[in-house]
Amino acid sequence: MLQFKLVLLGDSSVGKSSIVNRFVKDSFEDLRESTIGAAFLSQTIKLNDNGKEVIVKFEIWDTAGQERYKSLAPMYYRNANAALVVYDITELDSLNKAKTWVEELKNKVGDDNIVIYLVGNKLDVCEKDSSKRLVSLEGAKEYAKEQGLLFIETSAKTGANIKETFQEIGEKLYDIKKTEVNTDLDGNTGEIEISKPSTNDTTSCCS
Amino acid sequence: MTKARTDSHFHDAEVLEDLYDSKPRKLGFPVKSPSVPNFHGVLKSNNYNSSVPLFNASAVDRLQADPGYSQGGSSANSLNGDDDANLSVIDMYGGDFDSPRKEQTMKKMDTLASGKGTDHNTDRISSNTVASTIETPIRKNVGSFDRYGFRKQTTYISEGEYDIWWTEYSQYCVRRKGKWELLLEKSGLSYAGDSPTRFPARSEKLKRYVRKGIPAEWRGNAWWYFAKGDEILNKNKGLYDKLLSRIDQIKVQKNREKLYPDLEIIERDLHRTFPDNIHFQRESFQDGESTMIKSLRRVLVAFSLFNPKIGYCQSMNFLSGLLLLFLDEEKAFWMLVIITSRYLPGVHNVNLEGVNVDQGVLMLCVKEYLPEIWSYIKPFYKTQNSNRVTMVSFSSNSSMHSKGTTKNEFLYKLPPVTLCTASWFMSCFVGVTPIETTLRIWDCMFYEESNFLFKASLGILKMSEQTLNKGKLHSTSLNHHNQLRSRKVSQDESDMELFQALQTFPKKLLNPNDLFEKIIFKRRITFNNLDQEEIDRCRKFVKNQRNKYKNYIEAVDSSQYSNGRASKYDDTGHNNGNNTNTFNTSTPISDTMIQDVLSSEGYGFKKGISGVNWNNSIKERVRQIRKRKDKE
Repeated sequence: MLQFKLVLLGDSSVGKSSIVNRFVKDSFEDLRESTIGAAFLSQTIKLNDNGKEVIVKFEIWDTAGQERYKSLAPMYYRNANAALVVYDITELDSLNKAKTWVEELKNKVGDDNIVIYLVGNKLDVCEKDSSKRLVSLEGAKEYAKEQGLLFIETSAKTGANIKETFQEIGEKLYDIKKTEVNTDLDGNTGEIEISKPSTNDTTSCCS
Repeated sequence: MTKARTDSHFHDAEVLEDLYDSKPRKLGFPVKSPSVPNFHGVLKSNNYNSSVPLFNASAVDRLQADPGYSQGGSSANSLNGDDDANLSVIDMYGGDFDSPRKEQTMKKMDTLASGKGTDHNTDRISSNTVASTIETPIRKNVGSFDRYGFRKQTTYISEGEYDIWWTEYSQYCVRRKGKWELLLEKSGLSYAGDSPTRFPARSEKLKRYVRKGIPAEWRGNAWWYFAKGDEILNKNKGLYDKLLSRIDQIKVQKNREKLYPDLEIIERDLHRTFPDNIHFQRESFQDGESTMIKSLRRVLVAFSLFNPKIGYCQSMNFLSGLLLLFLDEEKAFWMLVIITSRYLPGVHNVNLEGVNVDQGVLMLCVKEYLPEIWSYIKPFYKTQNSNRVTMVSFSSNSSMHSKGTTKNEFLYKLPPVTLCTASWFMSCFVGVTPIETTLRIWDCMFYEESNFLFKASLGILKMSEQTLNKGKLHSTSLNHHNQLRSRKVSQDESDMELFQALQTFPKKLLNPNDLFEKIIFKRRITFNNLDQEEIDRCRKFVKNQRNKYKNYIEAVDSSQYSNGRASKYDDTGHNNGNNTNTFNTSTPISDTMIQDVLSSEGYGFKKGISGVNWNNSIKERVRQIRKRKDKE
């Protein structure tokens, strides 16, 4: 089984916990308690590699969104394989916050080491009432393209594009690992260590 | 709400008043508590539901016999069914709800965000009116909520489990309350109206009583008393009202979003505070917002104006929310001030340094008192013979400073598990443990000061050890590290498993006595000797160490930044003569600084001198004698 570490970042109340909850428990609550500190969840998905089934386990760190928790963030994204940077399509400023997260990830982790997925959440709100949309699909898409990010709009409430997003990340990470590790992924080598940095390396301890 | 229902409410209320009048002496529930929501009624219904004989039979008979009450349902079960006629929570709050005055008030209470709000001052809820203006869901199944309005069922506890436990625990509460009443009587203090405002002088006995739980109905008053709320309120008379007036001014101010960014963040969290508690739930038949949410907004906004250094920090919504369940608004505000300054200094500050310091303190305590747990937490630093850990270079691409060694690095680079335990402190266990356990911790926090938060944390960590052993993190914990190595399990994975275990375990601590009887009251458990003086000393030590490291890291960073430019290091305050700063060979940071960091001694906990054990055993005997006396 492959394991990947994934972290959710973004402004408070954009729906980070709801996205995770939809993915992990396939449920949704209109009002979720604010996340204090962090929450950790895991979920597995199946991939298809030329007819062969591959199981991928996501270890998901869901974080508190408020600005001042930002100083704790490096602990979460350290060694992360992927980051979902979430914004709320009905809140203009949340995209700006997302952009600062993208910058931070690029500076601190580096493009090559992490898959960044820009996620515009609360699609359901705009489907009901298009005047609620304050972040245009095109604008965000363009930004994502410029920055070389994956991009999607989702609704944790209806479940739209949630599973697809994680599936895509799984496939992407799997492909990366496959090319990275020049051994076949049959049997034993599919152990966790291939998705993790070396454990003996003391420099990988919490930064 | 139909007229018929309204009528029936009034009717129900009368029945309840009746019931209160005929209450057994021991319980002494008032119609309205001076503290906010009067949850006694809910308690009653729950007790009734779980067949606990809290009330004398005649009252229950009358309750059941009254057709307006159960609309023909005469069995106990009907109280708990889904029928509209069930005892709704609103029924519990006494007579004068739905008054015209309330309707007016409700209309006037516009949200701050919408900017249509009127005068906050007139809206502010005084201690005497809150109980009557709580508008609560009419069609909710009362049996599904506990006496504070929280949903009994959680992800980890079923309603059935709750009810079974509550049957026993509610009896415990009644017994304890009886003891408290006797204690107050003996001390010549009144608990008239089931609302004592003064409590006995501090003593070992009172501490024990507090640890066994303050009666729920007295909590607000007792917390206020033990935290010396009056002192701070009397020094600041009228200040809360002034803050509310300022809120009114701000509401009409241009650019208020920019000037007061906290307002927006507070607004987002209001409805994410106890969404499972009936008092906080949105209502469709009013203007959509419960009185409680309005109070919560005012307390949080007022606080952000009062203390701009903290402003608003997520988690304060939970602290304030819980306070508002037990105290009126102004007192809740001052208690928030007290918690964030006295018990958790700096924890909610913009840089969260206080919470990092406290996590450092907790880690020191775990290392000292719970070595088994520490073996799970302890990072994989290369250990040397001297039992010192290798200094890990702070930048992953540099090994320049890895030659040094230090004991205290984990105080700066906190282990990942502290991301979990940090939330225990920030919200004082609100939402971390089930509510009755949280409340018992709060009782002790207000009586014993912040050292109790560390004790509770250590207690929970100790209790979770079994879970850790059971899980993937098996093996006898002491050679856990070797096993992990041989299994080639990464530090990351072990961290995550630990984190997962620790985020889940406390949520199952339904029964506070599991923590208190098995851990907190046990003398042989060494961390129970931690006192406030020790914690304060420890905090100082950690703060100091973190500062040293911070300066050191900054110096390392700036030296790396200027690598090859042969710059000076005056800006770090540590001038250093060696300016040949090539990356691998130079030591651009002053030797004294390195010395300072590396030579740091570990923290020394007060060790018991030989006499102390003897002393403790005497104390223990005295305690047992006292206990026997108590029982008599």
